[in-house]
Amino acid sequence: MRAMILVAAIAALGIGVALAQDRQDQADAARAIEGAAEEETVLPDGEGRSETFAYCTVCHNTALIRRNRLSRDQWDGLMDWMSEKHGMNPLEGEFRDTIVNYLATHFGPAQAPARGRNPFLN
Amino acid sequence: MAARHGRTERSIQELYRDDPERADALAFGRRGALKGTALAAMGAALGGAIPFAHSMPEGTLPALFARPAAAQGTAGSGAPQVLRMEGKAPLILQGERPLVAETPEHLLDEPVTSYANHFIRNNGGVPEALSGDPRTWKIRIDGEVNTPLELTLGELEARFPVVTRQLQMECGGNGRAFFAPQTRGNQWGNGAISNAEWTGVRLRDVLQAAGLKPSAVFTGHYGADPHLSGAADRPAIARGMRLAKAMDEDTLIAFRMNGQPIPHIHGAPVRLITPGWPGSLSQKWLTRIWIRDRVHDGAGMGGTSYRIPVRPIVPGSNSNGADFAEMESMPVRSILSSHAHGTRLPAGTRSLDLRGAAWAGDLTVRAVDVSVDFGATWTTMQVAAPANRHAWQRWTGRVTLPSDGYYEIWYRATDSDGRMQPHAAANWNPQGYGANPISRAAILVG
Ligand code: HEC
Repeated sequence: MRAMILVAAIAALGIGVALAQDRQDQADAARAIEGAAEEETVLPDGEGRSETFAYCTVCHNTALIRRNRLSRDQWDGLMDWMSEKHGMNPLEGEFRDTIVNYLATHFGPAQAPARGRNPFLN
Repeated sequence: MAARHGRTERSIQELYRDDPERADALAFGRRGALKGTALAAMGAALGGAIPFAHSMPEGTLPALFARPAAAQGTAGSGAPQVLRMEGKAPLILQGERPLVAETPEHLLDEPVTSYANHFIRNNGGVPEALSGDPRTWKIRIDGEVNTPLELTLGELEARFPVVTRQLQMECGGNGRAFFAPQTRGNQWGNGAISNAEWTGVRLRDVLQAAGLKPSAVFTGHYGADPHLSGAADRPAIARGMRLAKAMDEDTLIAFRMNGQPIPHIHGAPVRLITPGWPGSLSQKWLTRIWIRDRVHDGAGMGGTSYRIPVRPIVPGSNSNGADFAEMESMPVRSILSSHAHGTRLPAGTRSLDLRGAAWAGDLTVRAVDVSVDFGATWTTMQVAAPANRHAWQRWTGRVTLPSDGYYEIWYRATDSDGRMQPHAAANWNPQGYGANPISRAAILVG
């Protein structure tokens, strides 16, 4: 009886060690993806690219930025959201314009609104 | 068409890729009927004749060009990126940091979602793996309770009844890519959904053990994942829910997924599972539940976050969300898992056996219907009962095809209150929640 408990305990320990290793491997795999380096050239060339890349990849990579197609107003509003909700150093003045202009130019709305302009917005 | 407009510089396929609205206008013309050279051009672009061209709707891009996973990607290159991670299927990589990946619908063909095929959503960084015994992991229950509790995983498991349930978990932003104009955030198709088997204890049993004060109205959840900025005093995300949902018998503090300890990337060793409500309420790497005497005000609460308009707003307009309502039960949605979008079938194929899943937050699904003629006629599918409350429902059925050619399989579910998936994403909101339009998968026969 005691031998059986011992065997079970050793087996459980073995599984425990294996699981800890799994956890470590999974964490390492995820962190390797998170940590993959990006080059500035992942963003389209244009005035303000360096500033945008430097300022905007401190917390997250550019995937978050590149998938968006927003109007200038929306980009501008997002700068405040990032400061208010996520602790980004507020962007002000000319520097803010440089970055917002860059984003609006290269990541503006993907399509012309269907059937022309939006009568409620323009 | 090219001659009429005097432009030959782009093929219709290129045109659809670069300027879908204009391509649509050119292809369908003023009267909205697809015929003559436009029909031929469209057929050529799609790769086959279009047997149901007469009912192909104007202003609706052919699914071949409109699918979100294919439509997103880096500026300039169209192809979606793929997750390469040991043990995980090639999911659609939405972003590396934070690590976010969507499951293509055809990988959701298992009734119970496996680790390999479970989507990934992180708001912060992936925390360090726990090196010691996971049973020593502690969670705290405090705030508006008579007896604040600190419980290890070992104690949770020993002290409370342990239950196992299949439970849907769906990101609040699932379907976001269907909104027009595009909203900010992860451009999910329908693949931010899972239906794994979760084992844990009921949150309500634990809350009852702590004793809720009459002032208790809301929960606030915290996890061990660091904020993206690395700031230690900032939670990655801290959402909460009305007490009624916290007391639901299916809201679990879970520690096993599909019979195994929860994989690290999915919140090991302990996480919340709040089925049918936005996935952000299923806090990963759970460390604390703060019972509040008011609506929780943590990160990811208030404004336009996980909140939707009560009074519809103009698509594309700005709003601070002050008069929006919390997003609670998720809207009805269906997926097609038997045929991947873009599947090519042998010439002469005249029927398709279809399979998929459907779910509707706290409700159930009453019906799933499929159309292969752009919605002109619909065929009713068989919908199975859920394995248990809050599990998704599998559906199957057969459709027939009159000839070879290009088809779109349109699929649509109806919930137990009679609400159907709408034709287009409705109730536009700045952060893009609740888009659940009818979905379309393109197939080519021959
Ligand atoms: C201090 C950290 C920090 C900095 C610096 C920062 N961001 Fe963010 N950003 C965040 C966090 C946190 C999120 C939310 C991530 C999530 O929940 O997935 C976010 C989300 C976003 C999103 C997605 C919004 C959404 O609704 O999901 C975009 C777009 C974005 N950031 C763009 C930028 C741009 C452009 C810059 C540079 C001007 C920038 N960020 C700089 C922290 C930061």
